[in-house]
Amino acid sequence: MINYVILSMTLLAIGIYGLLTKHHLLKVLISIELIATAASMNFVLLASSLNKAMGEAFLILAFSTDTCVTGIVLALLITVSKKYGTSDIRKLAELEWQAAVENEKGKSETDGDDG
Amino acid sequence: MVVSAFLAIYLDDAVYSVASLASTLVLVAILYSLNDAVFAAVFQLGISAGALAVLFLSGETLSEKISQRKPLRKAFVATTVAILLSIPSIFFSVGNPSTTVSSEVSFPEALWNLRAVDIVLQGLVIMTVALGIAIVLHAKKEGGN
Repeated sequence: MINYVILSMTLLAIGIYGLLTKHHLLKVLISIELIATAASMNFVLLASSLNKAMGEAFLILAFSTDTCVTGIVLALLITVSKKYGTSDIRKLAELEWQAAVENEKGKSETDGDDG
Repeated sequence: MVVSAFLAIYLDDAVYSVASLASTLVLVAILYSLNDAVFAAVFQLGISAGALAVLFLSGETLSEKISQRKPLRKAFVATTVAILLSIPSIFFSVGNPSTTVSSEVSFPEALWNLRAVDIVLQGLVIMTVALGIAIVLHAKKEGGN
């Protein structure tokens, strides 16, 4: 018999692996989706095996939240990739670092002119 | 299911990755329906496999393409690893849940009598999110003009 707890834990492990190792924003979003699916599956199948409908009610509540989160994250992904031209987390971090350094340089130059 | 979930993470091409995720979600819906959770299966199939796949594909059109392709040998190794990962859930068991505590709670009763406050609050949250997005878009439109 397939044990659903182990199945959901395997899906959770795959999601965490993707979250930790992948650098593309879309992959990170897919990893979050897998983690959410694993958690929902655990609730639904355990409740179903106990003949309780609470798991299904929970799933519907979780779906609405999950869809909202996914929509917002996808909107942020599109905005970021249109603004910076990349979806790689490492490149985005480098861009942020460069912007901070340039801001610091600009501040020091302004202070020097004033002095 | 485990294989398609692993491929969704592993594959570099975003379209293939999204297709693998969609197949994972469809298989989850089939699993729900096999366990007599029909409402959950319908919601899973309708929301996840439909709306999320479309959202992901629309996101892919605006995100950068990953040009690197992995060799066939690596893909084969990844599939083998995914099959090995799925073995524990097929063969091992930590024991069946006890059915002695089962109580017959119907789905509408669980949804409307036991979780009614949650549903109302969640509706308010979703309305607030939608209102916030509408305000931001309106402000952006006025700022653009």
